[in-house]
Amino acid sequence: MSPADPGEALAREHIVYADYQSAKPLDPRVVTAMLPYFTEKFGNAASLHGVGDVATAALEEARARVAAFFGAEPREIVFTSGATEASNLALVGYALRNRRKGDHVIISEAEHISILNIAKYLEKNGFRVTRLPIDLYGRVSAKKLRARITDETILVSVQWASSEIGTVQPIAEIAEMLEGTGIALHSDAVAAEGLMPIDTGVVPVSLLSLSSNDLYGPRGLGALYVRQGVQVAPVLLGGGQERGLRSGSEDLASIVGMAEAADILGAEMGVEVSRIQAIRDRLAERVLAEIPDSHLNGHPEQRLPNNAHFRFDAVEGEAMVLSLRDGGIAASTGSACSSKTLEPSHTLLSCGLLHEEAHGSLEFTFGRWSREDDVERIMAALPGVIARLRALSPLYKTTAPAAT
Amino acid sequence: MKSTQYTEKTLEHFRNPRNVGTLEGPNVAVGRVGNPVCGDMMDIYIDVEDDRIKDIKFQTFGCGSAVATSSMITELVQGMTLDEALKVSRGDVADALDGLPPIKMHCSNLAADALHEAIKNWRAGIKPEDAMATPVEKSCHPIPAAVAEVEIQNLDEYGGKGFYRKVDDLSELADQRVVVLDTGDRAAQLAIDLTDQTARAVLMTTGKEPSVSPAVRSALRLSDVKVLAEAQPLELLGEGELERIRVHDLSEDEEYELTADVFVVLE
Repeated sequence: MSPADPGEALAREHIVYADYQSAKPLDPRVVTAMLPYFTEKFGNAASLHGVGDVATAALEEARARVAAFFGAEPREIVFTSGATEASNLALVGYALRNRRKGDHVIISEAEHISILNIAKYLEKNGFRVTRLPIDLYGRVSAKKLRARITDETILVSVQWASSEIGTVQPIAEIAEMLEGTGIALHSDAVAAEGLMPIDTGVVPVSLLSLSSNDLYGPRGLGALYVRQGVQVAPVLLGGGQERGLRSGSEDLASIVGMAEAADILGAEMGVEVSRIQAIRDRLAERVLAEIPDSHLNGHPEQRLPNNAHFRFDAVEGEAMVLSLRDGGIAASTGSACSSKTLEPSHTLLSCGLLHEEAHGSLEFTFGRWSREDDVERIMAALPGVIARLRALSPLYKTTAPAAT
Repeated sequence: MKSTQYTEKTLEHFRNPRNVGTLEGPNVAVGRVGNPVCGDMMDIYIDVEDDRIKDIKFQTFGCGSAVATSSMITELVQGMTLDEALKVSRGDVADALDGLPPIKMHCSNLAADALHEAIKNWRAGIKPEDAMATPVEKSCHPIPAAVAEVEIQNLDEYGGKGFYRKVDDLSELADQRVVVLDTGDRAAQLAIDLTDQTARAVLMTTGKEPSVSPAVRSALRLSDVKVLAEAQPLELLGEGELERIRVHDLSEDEEYELTADVFVVLE
């Protein structure tokens, strides 16, 4: 039995899936590659017998393939339970291990909520954290970063690209600026991986948080790239696996899955990304042209090729997502009403948007099984959804009052 | 419970809201609650005859449950006497929708509050236009009349580093987040002109609307200038150059920080 094709499954259910940033299906080829490691090659890499040796060989081969995709050495890859754990290991592990050098950490205001919360944890534990502002388009500036560096600064964390508004950060410029200063640079590459080249041989970051699912591999697995010579203390203690940096028996099937996913992207990324970008470009062009009072959030050019992030005046985000759901379209929003805190997206507010604008955001992210036809389906529904919600809204004044 | 796990009844009211719109006439009152800043705002109109709610309409900006609760409350109280309608509580609205996710309960508060506000206004003889011009009860705050007299701390600290009293060359502000304080037509015109240079030009005013002439007002409406009303700048913040403005939200009586690169108060 071979695994179902995600594209066929979505078509059967008549769903347009435009929320690849939240979750990606596994590529069926990845599932096929993983299967033997559940039942046949099930050994523990720590065992001394032959079954264990098979596992060890598979683990190290997979590590080498993942490393190669990111231009790294195999020994620089530490497998974790996901990108969140990788970021905990990066920030907490680095800060604790290097405390004697200083107590100051800088993170950007555009970081994912996981990084923001790890930074708060560091503050509670005696570190000082400075938040680096972003510009209108969500980008940090190397100049503003430089102004915040002190003698006590040990670590800077700036994402490769925003998972939310898709803005790509000038990470190469920042890495170059920090090189030789002794200050480590961590980058959360989750949103960018698989969509643009990430080569640690070209961009000298110290630490890189990675996720398997964002390569169309299994969830529940990630990795931290730790540049040779960068010292990190473990945050998960136990049997000393992963060179002592991440204890717990390795999830071999998932690791093989991540390696397979990386290989597929290594071969297909160029073609795949141009195809996805054409779909995204078409949607952005049509939305901005056909829906009045619509705006693109994030940077017009320096953005992830699969991301279209809009806001619509006088319409609330959750109401848009719910309405689109009725039309079989899966999208997401940064509105407060979809979150647990009832606060709108911190990234949009840091870009300078007002609260009511941040509440009106709608994000589409495309991926491997997106089709040109998806844009037609979205545009068949979206203008009507916006018009209906505006007719309900006391804030939208340019239309005549609605009647029932 | 996930915020999107609404009951079928809630979703049905969201999809097909009853009694959407506005009302006019001598016996109409309106209750306005919420604030777009918080992501929801509601107007409930009632037409009263013989102390009964003869007709009721609503307009809502907000999430799924904000729409559904406003729709439901208009159905619940149609035809009721005002006293009966005043007894309809937040809980009643949620119950009528077969329950709301806990995080969404504040939305049912809003619908009941808007209705109660409308009845209160009707009894006090407050006309819809006055009701909508007055801040709602909890957010009452005296609004300073003379904008230019607003006192802002540490302006000079950022002179030339994000704070300007005049702008000679607009192109210097390209791609900057510019906030212009409303000091009349010239300020509004500057904000409009800036939209050629940047995607973010904000006209900040302490009033409900900018203090500009009718001609400039319509130009403002057609432009991409974002008007930030009922906002009082308190302090400029930033590391060596302007990065944020601490703002007093006069309608909610709360403070927040607005991200900005440039703040202009014309001489």
